[in-house]
Amino acid sequence: MYKKISKEKFLQWLSRLKNQSQVLAPERENGLWTYGEWKNQDLPERFPNSRLSPKGLFLESLKPLFSWNSPGGSLQVNSIPPSHSPRVIFGIKACDARAIRILEPVFAGNFPDGFFLGNLARTVLLGIACRVQCPGSFCREMGIDPQESANCDIFFRETLEGKIAKMVTEKGEDLVEGNDLWVESSPEEWESARKEIKGQREELRFDLEKVKDGMARHFPEEDLWQRVSAKCINCGACTYLCPTCHCFDLGDLQVPGRGARFRSWDSCAYPSFTRMPVHNPREEKWRRYRQRVGHKFYFYPQNFQQVACVGCGRCVAHCPVNLDLREVLLEVAR
Amino acid sequence: MNQVCQCLPGTSIYQPHLMEIVKIIAETEDTKTFHLQFQDPAVKEAFSFLSGQFAEYSVLGEGEATFCISSSPTRMDHLEFSVKRVGRVTQALHHLNTGDAVGFRGPYGNHFPLDRMKGKNLVFIGGGIGLAPLRSLIQNVLDNRLDYGEIAILYGARTPQDLCFKYDLEAWDQNPTVKVITTVDAGDKTWKGKVGLVPITLEEMAPSPNNAMAITCGPPIMIRYTLIALEKLGFTPPQIWTTLEMKMKCGVGKCGRCNIGPLYVCKDGPVFSFEEIRNFISDEF
Repeated sequence: MYKKISKEKFLQWLSRLKNQSQVLAPERENGLWTYGEWKNQDLPERFPNSRLSPKGLFLESLKPLFSWNSPGGSLQVNSIPPSHSPRVIFGIKACDARAIRILEPVFAGNFPDGFFLGNLARTVLLGIACRVQCPGSFCREMGIDPQESANCDIFFRETLEGKIAKMVTEKGEDLVEGNDLWVESSPEEWESARKEIKGQREELRFDLEKVKDGMARHFPEEDLWQRVSAKCINCGACTYLCPTCHCFDLGDLQVPGRGARFRSWDSCAYPSFTRMPVHNPREEKWRRYRQRVGHKFYFYPQNFQQVACVGCGRCVAHCPVNLDLREVLLEVAR
Repeated sequence: MNQVCQCLPGTSIYQPHLMEIVKIIAETEDTKTFHLQFQDPAVKEAFSFLSGQFAEYSVLGEGEATFCISSSPTRMDHLEFSVKRVGRVTQALHHLNTGDAVGFRGPYGNHFPLDRMKGKNLVFIGGGIGLAPLRSLIQNVLDNRLDYGEIAILYGARTPQDLCFKYDLEAWDQNPTVKVITTVDAGDKTWKGKVGLVPITLEEMAPSPNNAMAITCGPPIMIRYTLIALEKLGFTPPQIWTTLEMKMKCGVGKCGRCNIGPLYVCKDGPVFSFEEIRNFISDEF
């Protein structure tokens, strides 16, 4: 089902949504794009992508899990319920929407993480088609069409007049249902709203299938991993920016009489990540770099039948030593 | 498998149950065994586990650490776990006294394949604190002694002072249906047992691989050479079982650090047959 809406009416629609849920949209903070509470401002056209991936809206960088206190001297543990308050996030890109779905099976299963799953359940994702190729990105190599997404609830393409929307889920349809601001549209109009992506390369840089095959072959090759990780400085920036990196730490904060346990982002780039008192299986840098690439392109496909990378390019664009994952994948595919 | 969350309804998977320390045994200079009771009788009633499973233990405010449950599910009066003092959380645990509370999440992970061990001769090979997970299984097996064939236990530590569970070793040694060999890397004047590394002592002991299974746990270096010694003795990879230790936080396959290749020690293990891990064991363990 396709619907369209003018620019003005789109803003009206979003402000109506604010009556029933929180609305988040792209905004600039200190010059960088991020998602924040929408304050009725005009929405950016050709919004490139946020610097930090929106994973933090689902897997918070620091999240209290439970607390404790000692009323009358005896220790008492208090649950912290997951949030159920509804929210709409506008402006999600196809890559980041896919990433959130990639993370889901890790946090579901026999031991469901109610915080992550609760965030997923309370969110309506409004995605938007890309018009610019992000620096460092390789989404199409990862099988992602930057102007289409099955991982959002509604996906938008921009036109001169406003937006055309593809209703992807029932949750999305419910948001538009019976709303006088919207006009019927068609698959033809949807197709014609597919636009050129500024800066897009003609050719794909590598074949994902060859990367996956190559991982099994090259995983044991210490020389290769030594070489490709040589300039890595273990800063962990790639893992914090990455929309699919989800490794976390659990730690306590306390003041006299009370405290809380937190889940916080962690990084496989750090030697301390796996260090035990007498032994560290990934003490050497090349092992840690191999773990990051291996987790995404080798282990994740074995465990969850999908690659844990969406080609958003953040790790490439913002690596302080220009370590380019695309070049590593090219080597692996050889 | 027993991999379902035994957390209370309405709480998160990260929230521990409170347990009371009912007894503390000083095993060695740096190792203690804690006996725990659930504070909530309903939780105690509902709780179950299998030999080989582990749990996450908290000292609230200091953090959480991973230890196996070293007592047997055949003895459910209380739970036991043993801790060597090596870091922040273990240090905090060592400072606790009887009556203090410990946070407990679990049980997690898979367990020893008791079904497949029935009718078999069992060889247990432990090193240092690595006897703790084997102890749960040994007690379990001894409590159903008729289900199993011959039982041999080889246990080694660095020095006589580093031997854990001396009370168990004595009790097992007095059991006429169990063969116990204790060895140390370096003896002292009073030491009357064997002197020698575990894998070498194992080769001297030469247990028969016929209708047998070997179960080993200890420091990584000991496990590695024990696997080699067992293969020399004719044990095949599916006959050899071990339980691995890796740094863990969540214990339930999410935090991302305990993997060896695609296998997560917390949910695919900690118990593995050598068959499953032979391709990884020399690499990232």
